[in-house]
Amino acid sequence: MTTFAAPTEPLVRIRGLTTVLNGKTIFDALDLDIPRGKVTAIMGPSGTGKTTLLKHVTGQMRGDAGQVLVDGQDVPELSREKLFALREKIGYLFQNSALLTDFDVFENVAFPLRQHTQLPEVLIRNIVLTKLQAVGLRGAAGLMPAELSGGMARRVALARAIVFDPMLILYDEPFVGLDPIALSQVLKLIRTLNETLGITSVLVAHELEAIKQVADHVYLIANGKVVAQGDPKTIAEDGSPWTRQFFGGAIDGPVPFQYPADDYAQALGLAGARA
Amino acid sequence: MSAQPRRNVVTNALAQIGEAGLFLLTLLAAVPRSLRHVRETVRQLWFVGAMSLTIIMVCGLFVGMVLGLQLYYVLSIFGGTAASGTVVAIAIYRELGPVVTALLFAGRAGTSVTAEIGLMRATDQLAAMEMMAVDPIAYVAVPRYLAGLIAMPLLCAVFCALGIFGGHLVGVTWLGIDNGTFWSNMTATVDVWKDVVNGILVKSLAFGAVVSLIAVYQGYTTPPTSEGVAYATTRTVVASSIAILALDFVLTAFLM
Ligand SMILES: Nc1ncnc2c1ncn2[C@@H]1O[C@H](COP(=O)(O)OP(=O)(O)OP(=O)(O)O)[C@@H](O)[C@H]1O
Ligand SMILES: [Mg+2]
Repeated sequence: MTTFAAPTEPLVRIRGLTTVLNGKTIFDALDLDIPRGKVTAIMGPSGTGKTTLLKHVTGQMRGDAGQVLVDGQDVPELSREKLFALREKIGYLFQNSALLTDFDVFENVAFPLRQHTQLPEVLIRNIVLTKLQAVGLRGAAGLMPAELSGGMARRVALARAIVFDPMLILYDEPFVGLDPIALSQVLKLIRTLNETLGITSVLVAHELEAIKQVADHVYLIANGKVVAQGDPKTIAEDGSPWTRQFFGGAIDGPVPFQYPADDYAQALGLAGARA
Repeated sequence: MSAQPRRNVVTNALAQIGEAGLFLLTLLAAVPRSLRHVRETVRQLWFVGAMSLTIIMVCGLFVGMVLGLQLYYVLSIFGGTAASGTVVAIAIYRELGPVVTALLFAGRAGTSVTAEIGLMRATDQLAAMEMMAVDPIAYVAVPRYLAGLIAMPLLCAVFCALGIFGGHLVGVTWLGIDNGTFWSNMTATVDVWKDVVNGILVKSLAFGAVVSLIAVYQGYTTPPTSEGVAYATTRTVVASSIAILALDFVLTAFLM
């Protein structure tokens, strides 16, 4: 990939990240770069640690070893003040939306603005309505989160994540629960944010077809490592056993389908019968 | 967690008290940072204070009425119904006002604070605030804690006023104790500092500090599940009730 030889430093540089949770190795000396101004997709089997990886990038979790550099700063080493200052420049779309149930849609999107700026009300209103329009929900500004459908809640969360026009946006499964119209709208939005404002985007998603339309680069993570990477349009045909199995949907192969467990026959009490 | 040493009931309770104490230090340290969120504190004061007014007023009235009734029967045996105003006022200011208000507050406002914070944790709202560079301790925990602290003495004052009104209603208006005797005996024996200030201010501030701490702490540290939130809500009521009554004994012993 020529784009990866670009002169600028990658915005996110992960080196040798090792994380063990409850005795399970989630990351095993993981190396990964997120280039500036590009859309990078991260794929991998469920439970492989994609959400956990995003949490490392934002400092919500810390690894046991290794470096996570965001814009040149080592995230695990940052003080709380510095971390918060960094987070103001990062938009994060939660896998489960995580809207504030106390506030209506408008106030949810306005929340980061109200907390971090002294902007006049007119300006806040304009920014919020612009973002809501971009996700097609300007008309829903007065609804409470409990009155939204799952897909609508995700689009509101998306509007909230981009309200600051951050330098980096992390989307955790942005396409889940979207109908085809909303999906192409969100795809267009991600593309526009990237092209017009140069925002670096990281997408965690399972939908290869959608990823093909927006992402410049895709990483496939399994067993705590990057097992394949490349152009999303061609990665499925790169011939490696990982991609062949993952994109082909085969249950048997190098990508584990089962959560690590003890012997199946033994668990069912059949061990004696076999012996 | 299996890695932790096994605890019995006593060590578990002591460990919880210690953790709650540390949590209090975190809260106090965040008070300066939460000054930016004054509006949130006022909003919470409305939720925990104003919304508890009805139950406090109704209960205060009935407690005072029952007190007036019981005292009338007991005191009339000795022909001493004139003392009824004094006893109603002292019982309410010193004990019933602060204690019953605190117990009602724990059930009405403490539980809702615990459940609300617990659900915010379970639905990732606290994590979302962290991600938006808003400190949930300063934005969520401290305003609710301060609101409880401020609301308690105010509610207690309302409770006391309604209690004495209730005692007067039954004793004077219905059972015929002389109005002038009722009030003059009361004003002659009730001491502003010893009874009113100690009760409404000292005791109920202490109760407010403890009940709010328990409510916020239980909500903040609950496991993020529906079961966890349910247990935390129950624990708020149980722990608050025990703490209020135990603390009441200690405070009474020192203040009287
Ligand atoms: N707080 C935690 N404590 C212990 N283990 C955890 C914790 N959070 C996640 N895990 C474990 O880390 C692994 C990765 O979880 P993660 O949520 O990152 O998966 P994911 O790749 O996002 O999956 P999905 O596609 O289903 O969202 C899982 O095996 C999970 O059991
Ligand atoms: Mg996930």
